Amino acid sequence: MQELLLDYLPILIFIGIAIVIGGVLLGLPFVLAPNNPDPEKLSAYECGFNAFDDARMKFDVRFYLVAILFIIFDLEVAFLFPWAVAFDRLVEGSGWQALTSLGLLSMFTFLIVLTVGFIYEWKKGALEWE
Amino acid sequence: MAQIIVFLPLLGALIAGLFGRAIGERSSEVITSSFLVVSALLSCVVLYNVGFGHETGTIQVLRWMESGDLSIDWALRIDTLTAVMLVVVTGVSSLVHIYSIGYMHDDPHRSRFFAYLSLFTFAMLMLVTSDNFVQLFFGWEGVGLASYLLIGFWYKKETANAAAMKAFIVNRVGDFGFALGIAAIYFTFGTLNYDEVFAAAPEMVGHSMSFLGADFDTLTVICLLLFMGAMGKSAQFLLHTWLPDAMEGPTPVSALIHAATMVTAGVFLVCRAAPLFELAPVALGFVTFIGATTAFFAATVGLFQNDIKRVIAYSTCSQLGYMFFAAGVSAYQVAMFHLFTHAFFKALLFLGAGAVIHAMHHEQDMRKMGGLYKMLPMTWILMLVGTLALTGVGLPLHLISDALPNLGFAGFFSKDAAIEVAFASPGTFGPYAFWMAIIAAAMTSFYSFRVLFMTFHGQTRADEKVLSHAHDAPAVMMVPLIALAVGAIFAGGLFANSFIGDGQEAFWNGSILPIEIHEAVADDGHAVADSDGEEAAAHDDGAMSILEAAHHVPLWVKLSPLVVTLFGFLVAWYYYISKPHLPAQMAARNGLIYSFFYNKWYFDELYDILFVKPAQRIGRFLWKVGDGKIIDGFGPDGVSARVLDITRNVVRLQSGYLYHYAFAMLLGIAALVTWFMFSQGGGQ
Amino acid sequence: METVTLPAIDIARDMGLIAPEITMAVAAMALLMLGVFQSDARSRLVSNLSAVLLVAVAAFVVMTTGEPKLAFGGSFKVDAFASFAKVLVLCGSALAILMSRGFLHHEKLERFEFPVLIVLATLGMMMMISANDLISLYMGIELQSLALYVLASFNRNSARSTEAGLKYFVLGALSSGMLLYGCSLIYGFTGTTNFEVLGTVVTGGEMNIGLIFGVTFLIAGLAFKVSAVPFHMWTPDVYEGSPTPVTAFFAAAPKVAALALFMRVLGDPLLPLIHEWRQIIFFISVASMVLGAFAAIGQNNIKRLMAYSTIGHMGYALVGLAAGTVAGVQSVLVYLAIYLVTNVGVFVCILSMRRKEGMVEEISDLSGLSRTRPMMAFALAIFMFSLAGIPPLAGFFGKFLVFFAAVDAGLWQLAVIGLLASVVSAFYYLRIIKVMYFDEPAPVFERGIGTEMRLILTGSAALVLLFAVFGGPIISMAQHAAVSLMG
Repeated sequence: MQELLLDYLPILIFIGIAIVIGGVLLGLPFVLAPNNPDPEKLSAYECGFNAFDDARMKFDVRFYLVAILFIIFDLEVAFLFPWAVAFDRLVEGSGWQALTSLGLLSMFTFLIVLTVGFIYEWKKGALEWE
Repeated sequence: MAQIIVFLPLLGALIAGLFGRAIGERSSEVITSSFLVVSALLSCVVLYNVGFGHETGTIQVLRWMESGDLSIDWALRIDTLTAVMLVVVTGVSSLVHIYSIGYMHDDPHRSRFFAYLSLFTFAMLMLVTSDNFVQLFFGWEGVGLASYLLIGFWYKKETANAAAMKAFIVNRVGDFGFALGIAAIYFTFGTLNYDEVFAAAPEMVGHSMSFLGADFDTLTVICLLLFMGAMGKSAQFLLHTWLPDAMEGPTPVSALIHAATMVTAGVFLVCRAAPLFELAPVALGFVTFIGATTAFFAATVGLFQNDIKRVIAYSTCSQLGYMFFAAGVSAYQVAMFHLFTHAFFKALLFLGAGAVIHAMHHEQDMRKMGGLYKMLPMTWILMLVGTLALTGVGLPLHLISDALPNLGFAGFFSKDAAIEVAFASPGTFGPYAFWMAIIAAAMTSFYSFRVLFMTFHGQTRADEKVLSHAHDAPAVMMVPLIALAVGAIFAGGLFANSFIGDGQEAFWNGSILPIEIHEAVADDGHAVADSDGEEAAAHDDGAMSILEAAHHVPLWVKLSPLVVTLFGFLVAWYYYISKPHLPAQMAARNGLIYSFFYNKWYFDELYDILFVKPAQRIGRFLWKVGDGKIIDGFGPDGVSARVLDITRNVVRLQSGYLYHYAFAMLLGIAALVTWFMFSQGGGQ
Repeated sequence: METVTLPAIDIARDMGLIAPEITMAVAAMALLMLGVFQSDARSRLVSNLSAVLLVAVAAFVVMTTGEPKLAFGGSFKVDAFASFAKVLVLCGSALAILMSRGFLHHEKLERFEFPVLIVLATLGMMMMISANDLISLYMGIELQSLALYVLASFNRNSARSTEAGLKYFVLGALSSGMLLYGCSLIYGFTGTTNFEVLGTVVTGGEMNIGLIFGVTFLIAGLAFKVSAVPFHMWTPDVYEGSPTPVTAFFAAAPKVAALALFMRVLGDPLLPLIHEWRQIIFFISVASMVLGAFAAIGQNNIKRLMAYSTIGHMGYALVGLAAGTVAGVQSVLVYLAIYLVTNVGVFVCILSMRRKEGMVEEISDLSGLSRTRPMMAFALAIFMFSLAGIPPLAGFFGKFLVFFAAVDAGLWQLAVIGLLASVVSAFYYLRIIKVMYFDEPAPVFERGIGTEMRLILTGSAALVLLFAVFGGPIISMAQHAAVSLMG
């Protein structure tokens, strides 16, 4: 128990130092910085003219859809890299034996599943902007 | 036969009570009344058989309870004492049943009324036929219940409900003592059967029981406790307050329960337990004292009451006092005799008063009556008979010559006997009882004739309209009155010999144990007789009955009741016939005494301050704080309220904010981890 | 330390062992393709096929039940326990599909994805039940959860439905994080993810606080799935917001799967740590029972009420788990079976609460049901009595077995608290009955709940009512399953 906590002591010290430095840096300007506000200084900066709109506007959901689809396939493809790197160790033998090896079959199953998903989203029209 | 007498009323009560609606009011009346008449006739047969044929015995009905040493039977004990009570109870009850058919004819709940009446009769019979104290207690409580139901019969009348509750609650005080007494008997004797208890009683003389570190004489304690029950039931001084209020019930109920039968249960109890009381002279002295005090006290209160039924109620109270002091001086026969005659004339007076009230459209205030004898001639005569019987009018011809019999109304025999035994008693309270009784007799005469005069004589003060409809009651009410009048006239003369005269020993046949005065008492009694200086020698055998002693009291003692009665009559005459305007002036002038008596010595007010108010305060405290705040608060209400509180708070946790939820999860895991850090940390 | 040899991967043999799951997966994809190439109008075909598939797989699972076997290098376990739980899950899912159809039709939500998602979620549950490795455990949980998140927000035009889905997703992600953190701690302190190895390591090794932390986090993640306090917060909101058939599904199959996983993890490899994990289970069980009992009283929405009811019932089931004995596991399995049937019945009733203007969910809408729909009121009354645990209905036996197992294991405090919580919870169950039988009738519900609904209602009511007569086989099967889990 004590040992365990002792292991984490550096982290505690680190946190302490971080809090102190952060606090000091935040606090210093209140003491040192000059403070002469006027309306121009306090208004939002928008390239010389007044803001049209709230900054927190809604985006079209299609952006999200595309982003999500991109991330999914991006991630899945990223999964291929380590598999490809280790390919020679995953596939044993040659010929039929190689084709039925666990490593190859697994990846193909994975890709089939991915394809099914892809077909689904295509048929659903998720890839069409309009 | 005894079973039929006892259970016919129960059967009647069940039929009328359970099926009254189905069979109709008329059938209920007829069934209960005819059952009671049968019971009454059989009771007369039983009295004849037992009193003159000596067919006593105990009839086992069934085993009631058995628990350890305690075994109680349902049994009917038939001896002379019981038989007398049987006749009184069933006789008066049957007449009241019949009378009620007329009196209650326009009441919509007659079935219920007759069911209650019959139930009462059954309970009373259970009481008088009991073979042991538990059965006695059963009957005792049964009559209490029936009394409660009947006083509150007109339950829509608030005063009636209050009176019913008062009767029940005041009786609880007495019953508490009674129950303790029964428990003490069982504790002492290990049995509750009369015969066994009475047989074992002499051995207990001088024993004492310890309570809270103090020693008390066992038999005295038992007897005082039993007498406490009797005081409650028989409305004796201090526990008398319920009886006048009980007049809120229908008049037949007053006649049956609160004059003739139930209230005499206390006297019956003392007579029944005579073998115990006889061994507890202190208790007997107390009985005498209370009886005499009640006789005097109730008479004073009766003097100025204006409600016709209340006057008679106080008169009842007073007469019960006579019975008690008679019993207190060991003249149980006299007590029973007065009980017997009193039943007739007091029932007569009540029912007569009922007839008057009935004629006056339920007007009970005598100030609104007067001069009624023209309209109600029969009633007037009957009331006159009742009054004469109560006041004890008679001609003591026996004093003039031994050959001549005494002539007189019932009360003449029994009341005078009570006064004489009080005088003859050697006990500490004998003289007290005697003087109280004499004064009470004068007052009895005064208020009895006052009732008669205010009701039937003088100028009428009644409403014209009411008066024009007033007439004698129908035959169904009159016949019972006449029957009672016959009893009121002749019961005394006919039975005097059997009850208290030379034939008493054979008549009672040991059902009242102490035929002989106690040895020690006898000597004193002798001294009393000696002081009189005549005839004492003839009876100087060392053991003289108090009844015999009573025969040898001085002449002035024998005449005094008659004289004071005459005096009371004359005073009443003077005030209410000669100078009817005087009473009001007197009342105004003697404000203090008048209102002291009129307000019943302020007993109700005193009890209200002493008991009722504090009890209500305690009750309110227990209700508001004890029950409302503590039991309900921490009990059902509290639990349900806390459940709802918890629910409210728990539901509030469900704020709908995602970060609250996530926070709760993190808090949970943090708590668990912390828990393990500390609980496991020690182990490592 | 004894070493365990895990079987090597033999594709042919392993594929045979996970044939039900493979079937499910392939069929799910096939159904997806079938659905997407069809018009929406014919989605009922997919739904029918899905139900048939689930029932067929359930039958297959029953038939292939045998000795415990490991597959895929010990990461997947097939035994009687798994079969029992899988059959419950499959039946629950099949019933959920059948129950959903009327609702979806009326609410214009008839899309083929619904049954496919249920099939996928069920597949995840089967993985969870058979998981014998932290990795497969996590995979099962995630497969199930992702499908459930989507289902929760299936009515995407309803703000409440999407809110429910979002809440579920965010909190589910948090719980997954905890679970993964727990897994990593366990792996870090034992050097294995496999349950078989883990069991031997835990038995032989000394108590390590890091391992215990790992177990704590793991339990927290699982507790979220069974909605045990304090990881229950999502339940009422999600139950209320989701479309009712989804709620019905949530309340039944996933709870069975999650509890089965609980038992699998705690009852087998982590059994040596019983002293530690029992403290956690004790706490969350008590908290769930009490909160479920109290919070439900304040509810007016019957779905929300059922959410708290679920929380409470999970608490009772955890009582049996806390016992950590064969009898305990057996009692939990029986409890789950009874709970599943009763809940299905209740939700059939809730799904029948439809008026002209649409679905209603308030308890007051049930007013006077005994006069307008006497049979339904009677069935619902039976379910409520059963949930309250009143003999001789099924719910009583469930509670009885659970408490009995706890007392047997010396946890009488749990039994006492459970009984008290039962008393409190009886209040709101009986209130529903009171509303149905003694209040003035509310407007009548629409007729025509459909034949299959009526059949399900009758069947579940009969099971609940007659459990005392026919419950014996279920109890003995549960015992068989419990023995196979704990040896």
